Amino acid sequence: MFDNLFGIQPAVVYIALISIVIAVFLIIVNISLKKYDPLSKPKGLVLLVMMFAEMIDSLVKEKTNERVAKFLTPYIMTVAVYIFLSNIAGLFAIECPTSNFSVTLVLALITCTMIEVFSIRERGLGGYIKTWMTPMSIVNIISKISTLLSLSLRLFGNILSGTVLMSVIYQLLNSISSMIPLIGEKFNIIGVMVAPVLHAYFDIFSGFMQAFIFVMLSVSFIGNELPKKEEN
Amino acid sequence: MEKGLLGIAAAVCVFGGCATGIGEGLIMAKAVESIGKNPDAADKIQSMAIIGAAISETCAIYCLLIAFLIIFVLGA
Repeated sequence: MFDNLFGIQPAVVYIALISIVIAVFLIIVNISLKKYDPLSKPKGLVLLVMMFAEMIDSLVKEKTNERVAKFLTPYIMTVAVYIFLSNIAGLFAIECPTSNFSVTLVLALITCTMIEVFSIRERGLGGYIKTWMTPMSIVNIISKISTLLSLSLRLFGNILSGTVLMSVIYQLLNSISSMIPLIGEKFNIIGVMVAPVLHAYFDIFSGFMQAFIFVMLSVSFIGNELPKKEEN
Repeated sequence: MEKGLLGIAAAVCVFGGCATGIGEGLIMAKAVESIGKNPDAADKIQSMAIIGAAISETCAIYCLLIAFLIIFVLGA
């Protein structure tokens, strides 16, 4: 749709579009939350937002400690919404931004930076350097790189495989429906009947699962690097 | 001739997904078993099982990515 618009990559336009959608959505949520009376029963959009916030909040608090959760929860919520919208972008006739490796690599890089930053904040610089003072520190470096690669490649591969499979299936259905006389040559009639089920799986279900898994893994990787909680 | 060989290479790559399928099935079987033994811990077991399945699925995703690379980069 936006191929070679002013000579920039189409993926950049899609990323900007999704950011705008998120911004508009957050403004709507803000307005409805301001109107909401705290004593009444929440319903509609407010209820949905509250359930989502509570879910992420309990997830982050369970895996990390109180101080980290205060900074981590807003980021995790934003990234969950962003990845989910990017994954279901295929439904709105635009290319998924997450099927571009640069996007997923950046998301995984942010997570990897956060692991180190929170580790330094919780242990102090001396304590952080002490974690590297083991004979196995080369293995440590490999494990950090593999975290980065596996986080980014998992999201990228899942969404890319969904996109490629859908385009292959569309070609197949198109060639089948071109055998139908009269309407089949101009209109992909079998594709219209079969594709929605596959879109429900590849875009909505798989997109939701991947967003959830990315968030879950990011939180547990960050939680694993923190010093152990004292038992009380 | 060359394209046919590339197709065979991609198919062999995707064969790695076979082992991943078995592994994920084992994860889910154990998860269902342990939920049956201890229904109170269903929430924790479910989230652990999903994470485990996602991590082991990475292997199949790598196979698929390499197959895509063979088809679209080498075969183009």
